[in-house]
Amino acid sequence: MSTGQITAEERQKAFVSTRKPEVIEKQKLDVRYHIEDFDINDRPRQFLEAFAAILKHSNYRMALDHFIRVSAKCSRCATTCQVYQATGDLKDIPCYRSELLLSVYRRHFTMGGILRGRVTGSGYLTDEKIQEMAESFYNCTACRRCVNDCPSGIDHGLVTHLGRYILSEIGIAPRALVVSTREQLEGTSGNTSAIPVPALVDTLEFLSEDMLEEKSVDIKFPLDVEGADYVFFPAVSDFLMEAETLMGIAAVFTATGDSWTTGTGYFDGINYGLFYSDRILERVVKKIDVETKRLKGKTVLIGECGHASRSAKLFLPTYCGGEDAFPVINIMEYTHRVWKEGKLKLDPNGITEKVTYHDPCNIARQGWIIDEPRELLKAFCPNFVEMTPKGEDNICCGGGGGTVSLDEIRAYRTTIGGKLKADQIRATGCKYLVAPCANCKKQLKELVEDQEIDCEVVGLHDLIYKAIIFDDSLIVAIPEDDNSEEDK
Amino acid sequence: MDAFLDFARGPLFRVSLAVMLLGLLRILALDIFGAVEAYRKAGDKTLPWRFIVRRTLMWLVPVNRVFTRRPAYSLFSILFHVGLLLVPIFLYAHVELWRGVIGFGWWTLPKEWADWLTISTIVFALALFVGRVGSVASRFISRKQDYLWPLVLVIPFVSGYICANLNVGPATYQISMLVHILSAEVIFILLPFTKLAHCILTPLSQVISNVAWKFPAGTDDDVCTTLNKKGAPV
Repeated sequence: MSTGQITAEERQKAFVSTRKPEVIEKQKLDVRYHIEDFDINDRPRQFLEAFAAILKHSNYRMALDHFIRVSAKCSRCATTCQVYQATGDLKDIPCYRSELLLSVYRRHFTMGGILRGRVTGSGYLTDEKIQEMAESFYNCTACRRCVNDCPSGIDHGLVTHLGRYILSEIGIAPRALVVSTREQLEGTSGNTSAIPVPALVDTLEFLSEDMLEEKSVDIKFPLDVEGADYVFFPAVSDFLMEAETLMGIAAVFTATGDSWTTGTGYFDGINYGLFYSDRILERVVKKIDVETKRLKGKTVLIGECGHASRSAKLFLPTYCGGEDAFPVINIMEYTHRVWKEGKLKLDPNGITEKVTYHDPCNIARQGWIIDEPRELLKAFCPNFVEMTPKGEDNICCGGGGGTVSLDEIRAYRTTIGGKLKADQIRATGCKYLVAPCANCKKQLKELVEDQEIDCEVVGLHDLIYKAIIFDDSLIVAIPEDDNSEEDK
Repeated sequence: MDAFLDFARGPLFRVSLAVMLLGLLRILALDIFGAVEAYRKAGDKTLPWRFIVRRTLMWLVPVNRVFTRRPAYSLFSILFHVGLLLVPIFLYAHVELWRGVIGFGWWTLPKEWADWLTISTIVFALALFVGRVGSVASRFISRKQDYLWPLVLVIPFVSGYICANLNVGPATYQISMLVHILSAEVIFILLPFTKLAHCILTPLSQVISNVAWKFPAGTDDDVCTTLNKKGAPV
């Protein structure tokens, strides 16, 4: 696998800015992603006030104290970071990126730093440093691969997460994420893709009709069923862009007969708060809790989406009742379990082409779901091949940490962030690249297109839909085709 | 010279040892209290203990990760740490000194092992220095102390080796011994206040990081109140 840096031409393409010079001048911030207008006065003071407020009401201080004491600067993280591997830009080394924020913390929030600063009259936070953080924290895909190889145990992903959170409090956050979140929390649709309920209902009915035609099985998407075992929250963009994944999931539930439902009150698993703001994270996660309570559901079921799964799994207990919170599972866990129980039958030769599996960082990095999807795939894909590295040490798709939503940096994502991933995919020679994550799917589709790799990016359940074997009792007679009337 | 040596061996040693122990105890206590307080405030009290223990052990004895990244540098680092820990604690002469003070001793390294470990520690410390200087990425993120520590840490090893193994005159021996003791005391005193603090804090890293992801509940409201943002649109 190549670990080379990008060429001069690739660099030129990747770093092209789509922002207007007058906007950059007006906002006094030269970053590659779009930002809504914000107060540019006295930014260092604003940043420090936000930092202080967050420290006061969070658990970050103890982690920062620990990180500034143990950092050994061994530079192993440099060799893990795919962004640094591609750019060769020393400022992309995870340890350097973390130090941007840790140095502010050390100087302004520790006794030693404050005293040293007073004595030397130096180290004050400047606009330039904020500029550097605003750029650096969004160059990072927050994939946390470097965390696995830090002997000191520094969580650079946590530092990036905090850095973005503080920046968002002073108005520096990618417009794409903010606009979607605004629609989710304050808009009429209440979801990040602005899908109105009638459109959702139409879409699901249409998919059911399609599946009836294809499989001769009445596969439904139950809506607003009270007391269902599972309340389903996919990344809402799946309703627009990943119909096959949803069809696969509905097919599995039809095969097992378990009760599940999608709530029309709220049906979005996406939580951009994980990428840029703990406050947003909390508000969004509470919407899942409210809807599940409304429907008297038992378990929160998240679709094929890494960040949606991690944000619900990790933060539903945090913000919605601790031990009393609804249990959260990812759809792959459910499907694996029912397959193990024999409730789901798959054709052993369902997919004969070469298939590989991409681990979404938010699902695999800490060893949450790694073997389950592989066992499933091996059950119906005789030509399953692995990428190297995989699992906890997987390589990020290159669009992690919400950057995939920033269309203005597509060239950067598919040239730099995804360079190592592209090499990995090419090496497998796969026909199907399974990526059980909405963000990964979008990024990888753009990656294989821009890097001209001949493979199809799919979800796990897209392939399960192709390979599923329904019990004869579920096969129904297809109704007369209404189109025959129209054809006359 | 004798007076100097006595002073270094006596009061100065006791003071530097006290600074080190109290300093390490302080940062360890701060770390533990910080983690406990964070855990107490956390909305979610479940921690992935198996994962934490696995990762902690993986990095305390990092044999299975040594060749994954910067293999030569990582191997040098491990070998350097082995000698750095074993020799001062298990050297026969050191144990005998402790026995004289506290009345008991412990297992000691055979003389040959101790000598070879001393040499290897010096060699690998210099290799780490070269590895840092020789890597562009390392140089970019390194602070002064990152360059200095490998060089400072070998001083007591070099001077100790001279005292224990070389046939030198009494004056040279005394100077070497003084350097040996004083350099060790400087290390003792600086240890809790520099990156060497990782000797006691690193075992807690995985716990700290995992607790740090357990946020307190209801911070949205608190942060908004503090920043006068209550009710502000997204």
